[in-house]
Amino acid sequence: LRKSGKCLGGGSQVPSSPVRGASRGRGRSGLPPGGGCNGLLSGVRGVWAPRLTPLLLPPAARGAGASMNLERVPNEEKLNLCRKYYLGGFALLPFLWLVNVLWFCREAFLAPAYTEQPQIKSYVQRSALGLLFWVVVLTTWVTIFQTHRARWGELGDYLSFTIPLGIP
Amino acid sequence: MAAGAAGGGSWRMGAAERRGRGAETLFRGLLFCVLGCGFCWGNSVERKIYIPLNKTAPCVRLLNATHQIGCQSSMNGDTGVIHVVEKDQDLKWVLTDGPHPPYMVLLEGELFTRELMLQLKGSSRISGLAVAISKPSPAQGFSPGLKCPNDGFGVYSNDYGPQYAHCNGTVWNPLGNGLAYEDFNFPIFLLEDANETQVIKQCYHDHNLPQNGSVPEYPLCAMQLFAHMHAVTNTVTCMRRSSLQTAFSLNPEEVCDALSDYNVWSTLKPINASSKIDPMDEVIIVATRIDSHSFFWNVAPGAESAVASFVTHLAAAEALHKVPDVKTLPRNIMFTFFQGETFDYIGSSRMVYDMEIDKFPIRLDNIYSFLELSQVALRDSSVLWVHTDPVSLRNESIQPQVKTLVEALMTSSVGANVSLQEVNQSQPLPPSSFQRFLRAKHIPGVVLADHRSSFQNRYYQSMYDTAENILMKYPEGLSPEETLDYVTDTAKSLAEVATVVARALYQLAGGTGNTSAIQADPRTVSRMLYGFLIKTNNSWFQSIIKQDLKGLLGDELPQHYIAVTQLVNTTQLVQYVLANLTGTVVNFTKEECLNPEKTPNPEKEMYVYTWAQGSRDPNSTSRVPFCVRSTVHLSKAASPAFELKQWGSTEYSTWTESRWKDIRARIFLVASKELEIITLVVGIAILILSLLATYFINAKAHVLFSSSGDAGAVAY
Repeated sequence: LRKSGKCLGGGSQVPSSPVRGASRGRGRSGLPPGGGCNGLLSGVRGVWAPRLTPLLLPPAARGAGASMNLERVPNEEKLNLCRKYYLGGFALLPFLWLVNVLWFCREAFLAPAYTEQPQIKSYVQRSALGLLFWVVVLTTWVTIFQTHRARWGELGDYLSFTIPLGIP
Repeated sequence: MAAGAAGGGSWRMGAAERRGRGAETLFRGLLFCVLGCGFCWGNSVERKIYIPLNKTAPCVRLLNATHQIGCQSSMNGDTGVIHVVEKDQDLKWVLTDGPHPPYMVLLEGELFTRELMLQLKGSSRISGLAVAISKPSPAQGFSPGLKCPNDGFGVYSNDYGPQYAHCNGTVWNPLGNGLAYEDFNFPIFLLEDANETQVIKQCYHDHNLPQNGSVPEYPLCAMQLFAHMHAVTNTVTCMRRSSLQTAFSLNPEEVCDALSDYNVWSTLKPINASSKIDPMDEVIIVATRIDSHSFFWNVAPGAESAVASFVTHLAAAEALHKVPDVKTLPRNIMFTFFQGETFDYIGSSRMVYDMEIDKFPIRLDNIYSFLELSQVALRDSSVLWVHTDPVSLRNESIQPQVKTLVEALMTSSVGANVSLQEVNQSQPLPPSSFQRFLRAKHIPGVVLADHRSSFQNRYYQSMYDTAENILMKYPEGLSPEETLDYVTDTAKSLAEVATVVARALYQLAGGTGNTSAIQADPRTVSRMLYGFLIKTNNSWFQSIIKQDLKGLLGDELPQHYIAVTQLVNTTQLVQYVLANLTGTVVNFTKEECLNPEKTPNPEKEMYVYTWAQGSRDPNSTSRVPFCVRSTVHLSKAASPAFELKQWGSTEYSTWTESRWKDIRARIFLVASKELEIITLVVGIAILILSLLATYFINAKAHVLFSSSGDAGAVAY
C-alpha cells in the first residue's frame, strides 16, 4: 500500500518493502518496515509540518536519505552553501565558520579537483582565519576576566552574570 | 492503570491466563513496594557511616564597612583527621609532626586563647577546629571582644576629647583578646554537649592514637564541618552583590543581611506615638541594652553585660508605675531598651537619627537628662559608680544639670544597700548608648556601672557570661516552679539598684512626695532573671504572652543575639514583660483588645493593648486570658547606613551577617588516599573491560549464538 500525502521535512515517499520471512542476516538499517517517508524529520510524527530546511541544507539532499552528506549534492550547491556559511559568520557568529571549516574541509582539500573547488577552498581558508581570530580574542578575554575579576571590585561585579558565592 | 486494564480484559481470557495475569500484577505490586520502601531503608547505610553532631554552634562570617570577621569553610565542607589537643604539647603533632594532614583539632576550652589561635591561623595543616566548652568557666577570664568596644562609633574622636579616643585614657576590657574580630579561613564549631565531645574523644582513642610511638594507620577517625558563607570582603561588596542580584537576576541569590531588630520603649505618662510631643515638654530617658555577642553564632547569654541591666531597668519601671501620682509629674520618663548596641550602637544610633529627622515622637530638644544603666550586677562592696562625660561637663549649662542628677541619685541611695560614688572627672564615659546621644547634642547624663575603670566582667561578650558569672546560686533539689520563685542574693542586690534608680527618677521628674515608699520587688527581679538566663519556658512568661506565640518560649538556655530575623525572642519577651509590669488590666474582650480602633475611645492612640493568655489554674487546664493596656512601643533598630544606602559609612554601624545554606558537623572513619585511588582505578578498569567485552560479543554474535537451521519468523 502506498500512502499518499506529504512528508515532514521534505522527505520523499518510499515504497514499503515486503516482509521477507526466512531471511538471514541483518536487515537493512534506516528503512521502516512499512511505507513512509525519509528525510531529515522522517521520525517526527504529527500534524505540524513546517518547512524547516529552507537555507541550511542542500535542496537536493532532501531526497538523498542522509541529510548532511554532500556526496550527491551538485557542485554549485556546495559553493552556494559554503558562501552562505562564510558570509553568515560575519554576523558575530564564529560557530558558523567552525561548521564551514569542518564540513567543507574534505571537499576543499581532499576531494578530486572540480571547477568550484578553488572558490570553496578560499572560503574555507578565510573561515579558518576568522575562526582563529575569534578563538584568540575570546581566550584572551576569558583568561583576563577569570584572573582579574576579583581585583576589579565593582567593575567585576557589574560585568558578571553569576557571581561565585563565598570567594572574593 | 495497567492492572485495571489487565483486570478488565481478563474476563475474556481463560482461567489459566487469568491466574497468570494476577500473579504478574501481584509481583509488580510487590516490586513497587520494595523499591519504594528501599528508599527509606536505604538511609541506614548512611547511619552506619556517619555520626552527626547535633548540639553544636558554628562561627559565622560578619562583615562591616571595611572588614570581614568570623570563619569560612569550603563549599562541600572541610574534612580532617581528628586530633585532640588537651595541652600545649599536643599542638606540635598538628602543626609539624603528624603524618596525615590536614587535621581537625578538638580543643579544650581552657586552651582557646589568642596565641594558640594565631598559630593555627597561619598553618595550612589545619582544616577546622572544634572547641569543647569548658565547665567551669576558665578561671583567668575569657573575652573574645575587643579591648576597646565600639571604638570609633562612640562620642570620643579626634574632634571631641581626643585624649579619650581609642581607649587612651582607660582600657575598658583589658581581658579582651579580639578573637571574635579576627578572620579565619577554616570552620570553627562549639561543642556544647559534653556527651558528644566524649563520643569524639572515644573515636579518637580507638583509631587515631599513636600506639607505642608508631604512626597510627588508616582507617582514621575524621570530622567534617560544613559552614560555607556566601558573603565576602566587606558590607559594601556584599550589599552591592545582593542588590545586583535582586535587580537583574532571574533567580536572585542574596548574600548577606543587615543586623537589625527593634528597640522597645515606653513612657511613664502616655503620649501619642503617631504625632510629636509639645516642644516644651521635658523627658528623662533611661536606657539599657538588651543584646550581647560571643565568638559563636547565636551563643550570647550576656548575663552581666545585658540581662542584669535590663532586668534592673524593668524593675525600676514597675516600681515607678506603682506610685500614685505619676500622671501629674511635670516631666515624663521614657524607658528605652536598645537592641544591637554590641555592634557599634545599632539601636541608639537609629533612635538618634529618627529624632534628628523628626520621625520619632520625641525630639532631641525634649530630652531633659539621660540615665543609663551599664553593667550593674558585680558590685564590689555595694559600690555603684557614676560615670560622666568630662568634655560636656565643661559646658556651663550642662554642669549644674549633671550635678542635680548626681545629687538626686545620692539622696535616693540613702537607706538602700547601695553606695554611689562618682568617678574621677578626667575619666571618659564607658561604652554606652549615651555616647550616641552626646554625638548629636550635649545632654546632661550619667552612666551607672559596677566598675570604676575597667570592667568587673571577666567574660565580657563571651559564652561564659552566664548566670554563674553574676553569682546566681540556687539551692539543690528545687522544682522549676520553686526555682522561679526563689529570691537569689543577686536578685536582691539588683532590686536595691532598681530602687535607687526609681527614686532618683521620681525626684528628677519633679515628684515631691516621699520616695521611701518606692521599692523594687526582689521577687519580680528574681523571676525575670530566671526567665532571661535559665529557662524562658516558665509559668510566668507563659501567662503574659499571646496565645499563638508558643514558639517564643524554649527550654534551652536563652540567647540574646540581635540576629537578622525581625523581633527575636528577647525583644518580644522584654516587650511583654514591660507591658505586663507597667500596664493596667482592662476589661476588654479578645476582639476589642486585638482591634482597639473599633471601640470608640478618645484615649486609644495613647495606649497599646496586649492580649495575654493568663495563668493556668492548678486544678484545671484552661487559662484565664486578659487584656493589658500599656504604653509599650517598638521602634526600628536598623542602622541608618542601610536606610541611606551608605554601606561604607564610618558614621553609622554597618554590620551585616552572611547568608549560608547548610551548617552541620559529623564524624566518620576515613580511608587512606591510596585505597581510594586503587578503588577508583579498579572501577574504571572494570568499566573499560566490560565495554570491550560487550563490543566483542556483539561483533561475534553470529558466531557465538548461531544455531543450525532457521530461527523461525524473523522480525526484521
